Amino acid sequence: MKRNNNLLYKVVFLLIAMIAIQSCSDKFEEREGQLNADDLDYTATEDMVQALIGSYYVIATRGWEEPLLLSVRGDDVNAGGLGDQQPFADTDNFVYDQGYWMYNSLWNVHYGDIVELNTQIELIENFKDFADESEKATADQYIAEIKVMRAWLHFNLARVWNDVFIIESTQPDAEIANGTATKQEMMQYISDQMDEAIPVLPNLRPNERTDIPGGVTRYTAFALKAMAHMEMEDYQGMADACAAIINSNKFSLYPDFYSLFKKPGELSDESLFELQFSDYGSSTSDEFYHLYAPFGPQGWTPARENASDGWGFYEPSMKFIKFMLDRDEAVRLETSVLWTDRGIAELQTDPNYATLPAFVNNTTRDGDVINDYARALFSSGKHYLPSVQLTDQRNDYGGGKNMIVIRYAEILLMYAEALTRGASGSGMTADQAVNLVRSRAGMPSISGVSSDDVMDEKFAELGMEWGIRYYDMIRLDDYSELSYDGRTFTADKEPLPYPQAQVDALPTLGGGSSED
Amino acid sequence: MKIKSKLLLISFLLFQAVLLAQDNITISGTVMDDQGQPLPGASIVLQGTTTGIQTDFDGNYRLENIPGNGTLVFSYVGFTTQMVPINNRTTIDLTMQEDTQNLDEVVVVGYGTQKKADLTGSIATVDAEQIEKTPSANPVQSLQGKVAGVQIVSPGSPGASPTVRIRGLGTYSNATSLLYVVDGMFYSNIDFLNPNDIKSMNVLKDASSSAIYGVRAANGVIIIETKSGGKNRKPTIEYNGYTGIQRAQNVLQMANAEQFVTMAVESGSEADVQFILNAMQRYGRSRINPNVPDVNTDWYDEIIRDGLIQNHSISVTGGTDNVSYSLGTNYFSQEGLLDMKNEYERFNIRSKLDVDVLDNLKMGVNTVFSNATQQTPENSAWFKAYFAVPILPVFDDMNTEATPTRYANAQALGYRGTQNPFPDMDYNDNRLKIRKLLANIYLETDLIKDKLTFKTTYNIDFSALEERYVNLPYNMGFGDQRISDINRKQNNYYNQIWDNVLTYSDTYAEDHNVTVMAGTSFRDEASNRFEATGSDIAGINYETSWYLDFADPLSFNNNVEEENKRIYGQSYFGRVSYNFKNRYLLYGTFRADRSSKFTKEQWGYFPSVGAGWVISQEPFMENVGFFDFLKLRAAWGRLGNDNVPASAGANTIENETVDLGDTPNTGVTATSTYTDLTWEVVEELDFGFNMNTFNNRLSLEADYYIRDTEDAIMPVYIPIADQTISRNSGVIRNSGVEIALNWSDEITSDFTYTVGANFTTVKNEAIEIEDERGYIDSGSAEFRQRTMEGEPLYAFYGYETTGVYQNQAQIDADPVAQSAIANGQNIQPGYLIFNDRDGDGAITDQDRTVLGSFLPKFTYGGNLGLNYKDFGFSMNFYGQSGNKILNRKRGEVIFTNDTNMDADLAKNRWHGEGTSNSYPSSAGLRNSWNQRLSNFWVEDGDFFRIQNIQLAYTLRGDKLKGNMPDFKFTLTAERPLTLFSYNGFNPEVSDGVDRQTYPVPAIYTIGVNVKL
Repeated sequence: MKRNNNLLYKVVFLLIAMIAIQSCSDKFEEREGQLNADDLDYTATEDMVQALIGSYYVIATRGWEEPLLLSVRGDDVNAGGLGDQQPFADTDNFVYDQGYWMYNSLWNVHYGDIVELNTQIELIENFKDFADESEKATADQYIAEIKVMRAWLHFNLARVWNDVFIIESTQPDAEIANGTATKQEMMQYISDQMDEAIPVLPNLRPNERTDIPGGVTRYTAFALKAMAHMEMEDYQGMADACAAIINSNKFSLYPDFYSLFKKPGELSDESLFELQFSDYGSSTSDEFYHLYAPFGPQGWTPARENASDGWGFYEPSMKFIKFMLDRDEAVRLETSVLWTDRGIAELQTDPNYATLPAFVNNTTRDGDVINDYARALFSSGKHYLPSVQLTDQRNDYGGGKNMIVIRYAEILLMYAEALTRGASGSGMTADQAVNLVRSRAGMPSISGVSSDDVMDEKFAELGMEWGIRYYDMIRLDDYSELSYDGRTFTADKEPLPYPQAQVDALPTLGGGSSED
Repeated sequence: MKIKSKLLLISFLLFQAVLLAQDNITISGTVMDDQGQPLPGASIVLQGTTTGIQTDFDGNYRLENIPGNGTLVFSYVGFTTQMVPINNRTTIDLTMQEDTQNLDEVVVVGYGTQKKADLTGSIATVDAEQIEKTPSANPVQSLQGKVAGVQIVSPGSPGASPTVRIRGLGTYSNATSLLYVVDGMFYSNIDFLNPNDIKSMNVLKDASSSAIYGVRAANGVIIIETKSGGKNRKPTIEYNGYTGIQRAQNVLQMANAEQFVTMAVESGSEADVQFILNAMQRYGRSRINPNVPDVNTDWYDEIIRDGLIQNHSISVTGGTDNVSYSLGTNYFSQEGLLDMKNEYERFNIRSKLDVDVLDNLKMGVNTVFSNATQQTPENSAWFKAYFAVPILPVFDDMNTEATPTRYANAQALGYRGTQNPFPDMDYNDNRLKIRKLLANIYLETDLIKDKLTFKTTYNIDFSALEERYVNLPYNMGFGDQRISDINRKQNNYYNQIWDNVLTYSDTYAEDHNVTVMAGTSFRDEASNRFEATGSDIAGINYETSWYLDFADPLSFNNNVEEENKRIYGQSYFGRVSYNFKNRYLLYGTFRADRSSKFTKEQWGYFPSVGAGWVISQEPFMENVGFFDFLKLRAAWGRLGNDNVPASAGANTIENETVDLGDTPNTGVTATSTYTDLTWEVVEELDFGFNMNTFNNRLSLEADYYIRDTEDAIMPVYIPIADQTISRNSGVIRNSGVEIALNWSDEITSDFTYTVGANFTTVKNEAIEIEDERGYIDSGSAEFRQRTMEGEPLYAFYGYETTGVYQNQAQIDADPVAQSAIANGQNIQPGYLIFNDRDGDGAITDQDRTVLGSFLPKFTYGGNLGLNYKDFGFSMNFYGQSGNKILNRKRGEVIFTNDTNMDADLAKNRWHGEGTSNSYPSSAGLRNSWNQRLSNFWVEDGDFFRIQNIQLAYTLRGDKLKGNMPDFKFTLTAERPLTLFSYNGFNPEVSDGVDRQTYPVPAIYTIGVNVKL
């Protein structure tokens, strides 16, 4: 028995030792190499600005397809010829494909960014809990800035799909369950949001801000409010919001229309909202670029060697070019279009355009020669950065160029349009607003402007930009303008169909549940 | 039982003094094997006693004090035990016969061994002889076609590891790596092992067998034993080597210049015709056909080369009274088929030492050090070679801007890209240095002699992976220029496992055999990844400057990353196996595992049970001569899979830099969703039987299994937040039948043969998916793969074609086509006809369906072996069917449609009424109507392959003059013939998407083995 007891003792001891030595429970709760949001030091309120900077990162990181899909359906721009991304060209022709990845991506990236911005607001609110009074005001301002960015994303979504979700939380299950808001409701929501934001936003021009150069100010919020009221066809609200910007006397048109869209025009006094990109003048350091290649010509001989060309996915329409030539437009046409010889020849087959102004040639003002390429006849000038303005050894097409989202010229023309549609102005007249824009473009003054005059002016001034033209035409139900070059536009073509993947995932979009 | 008797023997020797003296005789003799070679270490025991001894180096033994009327029991592992009455003889020589029935064969199971006859689960063993036949760097490759239920997808690239799947695909995350247990240490990759050093590979196929490994076992376990020495053996020096050549097989035939031009002209694209004119202007017109440029490049031919392969191993094994050892070194090298710096070489050193320190204390040390260098291929070259137009030459002297080599650039002809694959191959240098050290030490002691042992083992795996990707600067002209950069990655892994195991084994009342095992294990897995990229390297033309030191310092900004991971695991486990009269078998294991990977539930509990009935041991079977062995078995087990991304458990923060006023500003962003994962749980039922008949000449093993993965982690789509979050949200089922048949016989004593075959069916399906959409998407939008309930994982998802519109009348008559035309779609004769599955009169997303899976439904293998005197011949074959391959090389016409295509597509295109009812026209290929994913782009992946043919001849040393050793010469052809219909040059595509799959070469080697 003694021997057995001994053994039992030994075995028990061994088992206990095995278990005891190997227990290091605290190790099991650690996560190496991970920084949790809860672990941020929210008492260090001076770091609060980092959450705001993160928001500017979120808003500026736009997929290449987003601006393309937002604007391709207008009569100012075509998809470029056949080839890859065939359904993109189909969309240009109002043949919609619910399964096309671009639709889904535009939806996803926009909503994904909205949720991310909501998360950024939560971060700032965490800091706000530890902030003193002046810092609390700063926190409110930051949150208001983010609300403006979020409003712009909501605005785009409603323009493209009409009925979409309003998302203000980071876990949007309840908001999804509540279903979509109509376009009208969305625009009212945006207007209300801007009313909340305006009082706490800096009373500055974006380029006057020193903490966040080019950041959102109360005038950005007024601009979005004006755009929301325009979509609601509430022309008085639109006029009032525009007037707030105009009467601040802070904004002026950048004198050189061509350079407005190049490096010298970045963060000008005309800019109300601008996505900023740069390589900071360094050939090797980390860059922050938007992918402009889809806008560019597919073949060129750049003035600065080795500069890359583009993909040819964005072609100013023959209709736009003829419209501009008919008006004797010079700088605005030159700025909007990059010409190829093939395109010029095609244009000249119409005897009305046999003789063309001197600037219509395939060499740009900055010496880049646009070669003929298969996809398209022309490409976008407003999205073109002369190769000589690229940083040394940087070859990306348009590398480091900013993208203007809202500019003062659009506000002036919106103001003029609202007045011609019966709103009462405060300050400037419609004629004055239109002529400010025309005179910068070297066009003679006109008087007694009608709504049609303003719409033509918008076409000339804002062509290729953000689908402004398309959304104007569907707002006015002017389908004849959109039925051009063999296309036929009908009312049912106004919104894009919801992406199939979203219909499957979101029963409240009306696609039925996944069980069926 | 064998081991037990040996232990009894040892204990007898130790306590000899206490035995009573008797009036007896002394016996001596020699024990030989059936080849006439002395058999050292065979045991001779006087029946009914513990008196006995083992034979020495020369097979000799001597027993004193033995009663002359007793009986001696001769036994040795792998040989039939023989009882020899002494009959007062003083010399007894014996030739032992190899035991073909092998009922005593021992199989390695987790933390111990078990007799094969006692198994209730499904374990397959592949021995050294089978492993060595395959000329490969990675030992797992040799399992291809040999084990039912194991799918091996060969990689073509030197040094790359094959994809291994045991019983289908049980986890959604593609981290399907199984657990390799090499002498007790856990690995997910055994690329550092020399196949010659392996004694056996034991594949634990069912959950019951592998449950003892708990949370790491879900994708299957392979236990690998390396070769050991043996006690009281003379040192044996062995050289083993082969050298050979590798050749690309079934190289895909591309459209030549003439076919390409025809397709381009028929496409109706003016631009393409212009490009051809450009080519004729630049390079001249062909004299044979003046409408074709005078260039006809076969790009695959240009980029493929033959490669050499060689392997040399030297080892020494042996042992003394209390030490056994096995030492060796090995060199392996293999060139890739891609004509660039693409090769693999490995140098290994290993040693294994077992020492009896004290009477009841054993200790051993085992180390393997491996140093490998892999020059990885630039796989983009395979894809570029597919799409590069044949009217482009490799070199173009007119491309004067191109430096350092004047490679031709397709942009010169008007195409969008450079196309030429050579810059990718020439201007990239991808080097991976892999250094791995496996080291373990163990102590083993008997707490109760022969009954209770305690073993503690400490294992270390230290791996350092040093990656260097050098992008050399070049200019291809036409603005395609690159500055130099170097990407360096350093991955270090330091993993430790400490195991403690108590094993108790006893027999009660003669018939009740019990083994109980209990143990603990502690795991610590630390890894560190450091990565930096620098560009504009000074002195890039000299390899001596290929260091980040020479990069522009500004270029490091935001290009330096470090990631650290440390995961702890803690486990308690146990096993009970019991049998009654070797007739009724019961088996159970349990493991509790804790992992720091998970935030929610860290503990997991994994039980298993098994039962077996050896019918052939029943008394009533004694007179049924047909069955030499018959066992029915059933087993159930649960195991876990923690081979999934670690759970974040909280919102995490990222640093991001954005431009504000032309100044970089760094801010933070936070995630809005997080994961709270727990392990996947695999539950499996396995029913099987083993049968030997015809005097053990035929053996048959069959299994039916249902393997469910519960809580399968799947990337669930969170709409609006646009996040795909891994969540435990599905059930995956794999089920099937496995059959292995073997026949072996001897016609004369000089002429033996074996024939074997195995068959496997796997049905893979998702049983449950918790996602709002009811499906999980993967692949890209153009090449959609979808996992749906009731369908296989990652199924190709698209449209069904039913033919090709032959004429306008057919289009006019088809309401589906008319509806598309009304919607603005252009449809011409030569366009595909799609099945309107939902019958709504239009082709919409709802008409998509599952087009198949990359997982084969049926795989089969076979072998044939002939031995005549000193000649040996063996052949293996392997095949699979029921799997699909997405021919993405073709499908990428959706991205770029003016490039080349394979000859099959060019020849079989629709080009007029009646020319094809399955291939679209050249113009159709360029239209989005036909480009959508359909069964036109998804092809059958069935293949049949002669896996290995080997001819061996052994030159017996004793037939030569002097004291010469034995030489064995082998000629091996690995994968000499593969038959398939898929339009690619390789039907083995691990994920079924063939874009730039590396071809798998045929290998022809000559080898020699010498034993001193």
